[in-house]
Amino acid sequence: MRFIDPRHDRWHRVEGEDGPIPHPDPQADRLLTLEQWHAVRETWPQGLTTGVVLPNTLDVDALADDLRGPQPRLALVVLQFPKWTDGRAYSQARVLRARHRFGGEVRAIGEVLVDMLPLLQRTGFDAVQLRRDQSVEAAVRALGFFPGHYQGDVLQPKPAFARDLQAETTATPRDAGLFAGQGI
Amino acid sequence: MYQYNEFDRQFVRARAAQFRDQLRRHLDGELPDDDFRALRLQNGWYVQRHAPMLRVAVPYGELSSRQLHQLARIAREYDRDYGHFTTRQNLQFNWIPLTKAADVMDLLADVDMHGIQTSGNCIRNITTDALAGIAPDEVVDPRPYCEILRQWSTLHPEFAFLPRKFKIAVTGAHEDRAAIGWHDIGLQLLKNAAGEVGFKVLVGGGMGRTPIIGSVIGEFVPWQQILVYIEAIVRVYNRLGRRDNLYKARIKILVKAEGQAFVDAVNAEFRHILAHDLEGGAHLIPQAELDRVAHCFQLPEGLDAQRAPAAAPAPDGLPAAYLRWLERNVHAHRLPAYRAVTLSLKRAGQAPGDATGDQMDRAAELASRFSHGELRVTHDQNLLLPWVRDDQLQALWVAAREAGFATPNIGLLTDMIACPGGDFCALANARSIPVAAAITERFEDLDRLYDIGDIDLHVSGCINSCGHHHSGHIGILGVDKDGAEWYQITVAGSDGSTLSGAATPGKVIGPSFAAEEVPDVIEAVIETYRRERQPGERFIDTSRRLGPLPFRAAADAVRRATAAAAA
Repeated sequence: MRFIDPRHDRWHRVEGEDGPIPHPDPQADRLLTLEQWHAVRETWPQGLTTGVVLPNTLDVDALADDLRGPQPRLALVVLQFPKWTDGRAYSQARVLRARHRFGGEVRAIGEVLVDMLPLLQRTGFDAVQLRRDQSVEAAVRALGFFPGHYQGDVLQPKPAFARDLQAETTATPRDAGLFAGQGI
Repeated sequence: MYQYNEFDRQFVRARAAQFRDQLRRHLDGELPDDDFRALRLQNGWYVQRHAPMLRVAVPYGELSSRQLHQLARIAREYDRDYGHFTTRQNLQFNWIPLTKAADVMDLLADVDMHGIQTSGNCIRNITTDALAGIAPDEVVDPRPYCEILRQWSTLHPEFAFLPRKFKIAVTGAHEDRAAIGWHDIGLQLLKNAAGEVGFKVLVGGGMGRTPIIGSVIGEFVPWQQILVYIEAIVRVYNRLGRRDNLYKARIKILVKAEGQAFVDAVNAEFRHILAHDLEGGAHLIPQAELDRVAHCFQLPEGLDAQRAPAAAPAPDGLPAAYLRWLERNVHAHRLPAYRAVTLSLKRAGQAPGDATGDQMDRAAELASRFSHGELRVTHDQNLLLPWVRDDQLQALWVAAREAGFATPNIGLLTDMIACPGGDFCALANARSIPVAAAITERFEDLDRLYDIGDIDLHVSGCINSCGHHHSGHIGILGVDKDGAEWYQITVAGSDGSTLSGAATPGKVIGPSFAAEEVPDVIEAVIETYRRERQPGERFIDTSRRLGPLPFRAAADAVRRATAAAAA
């Protein structure tokens, strides 16, 4: 899991005083709204690294053509948690990964709390921008409690009944340290 | 019963450790109330009127003697020496201080128990028929499927923060003893003409302020596909369910608003998972997994399934009280030499469903002595011993009577369902327990109770309907008017059982009554039935045939504090 520090983020939104600029000029590492992306998608060159912020009310199928293949049009999809107890983005992330085979970055923003980390990781998020008051240390610890889970997920698509549990239960819990220090 | 393996045990211990970490951060001030709330709820911890309430999961109602002894210990050492069994087959404690919460979770984990998903906007503990695996009318034993569903839904990462709570009930018998029509998802196990097992799937049932009966969305979903099918339902709900209004957030509202479009969306999602998702077929249940889980639910060790039934003793020499107990509290069993026996938790002086620590120990001892160490928590808030030999019934009756469990009232008026109400619950508008107590006192005469016969009386302290007032033949709902407690009475509701008829909410019999009027109103309603009934008619039959009006008139006649209905 990468922890994003917004002060050192390569991605930039294209906004003016009145909000998002409707037809931004082509430039790498721009993070666009869905409307902006629709407006420039036909004219921006292929290969320009582009990200899109998707509201949690929309179906990720709206991006279907831009997610797949060795060089997808999008390199980043940002999903939102307007309230941390609003779990729509978990389904969006899972469908992005499992159905659309999106291999780029899936990032959580908004009210992202440390105790959401296990859910985020398991549904396919690989980057988070924590709410300002949250501690990265606690987030890393939150990832370390469970040796395994019953149902399959994006990290481990096989449910417990299709795995070798004996091997899992003799191993130590997933090493939380693996995720430490990345992205910060 | 399901036997935990090492993975299951590590998992529950990990959950207890995770909760301890969250609790520590909360008590240290790192995790504010608002953020801690959803975390503690998903471990069963509410904050109630007096203290936190802990709801312990009893998966599909199955409990061992060892587990019940541990619950008794928790009641004694951490609570004020009692607990409350709920309509969803769980157990609630009321007085455990939050600072002790993590210790209690460790004690639960020691006996393979926990509070996972007993609250919160997630898939809740799955409920089923208290007679699962032993009922003579059973088509398929639902317990292995309940366990597979329990595992699949436990800490599901995608479905931990749904728009609202999500309840699944399963039945495998002809008779629906699990009220499946009243659940977010109701599952009925069936066999098709070829003898294959599958599920009839209902979706969108629920109580609350908008009572709705679930609609059939799948006539026969093969058992292998049930996890994928439910995943499709819950994903559609997670995406499209309303989050702007708490009262419109249950799946029933989405199903009603979308109609066929909802069904189409679920079926499309189901096809997508299997056809397009990476490892989309990974959650098709293999035969080997069903066999592994089903193995746990074979007959208890030492039970002789071939034993011939004992010769029934001549009733002449038997005590009348014992005969009554046989009639009401003892149920037929699929094994001819065995019976299921209800230990009644409905008796004067204690709230419906309550048991003290000592009573829990006594019930656990009865289970060890008479029922291979196994008990069930019933939807009606009683305990049930599932494996009692027919030649030990009288000995059990003597022991149950000594322990106070032998009130021969199962299915009768005083065997009522009641939520904890305003005495405990922060949500309640009115108290349930004093109303239940007043009715129990009014109807303590057994001859009268037997004459009234089979009847479901359900009491809820508020519209959240934990006491299932909608489905009661007589329903009592606590409402708040200008800070005072009032009670709305309904008749002819049904849970969906054969006795009660197709599931339906009851009909209101006029404006609410004052608390002190309620026993009189119930008596007036009952007397109307006794006067109007035709031979063989139960209360529910008469109330359906007559409709609410005669009951309303009788109830109006006993009003003192309240004005009669204008109509």
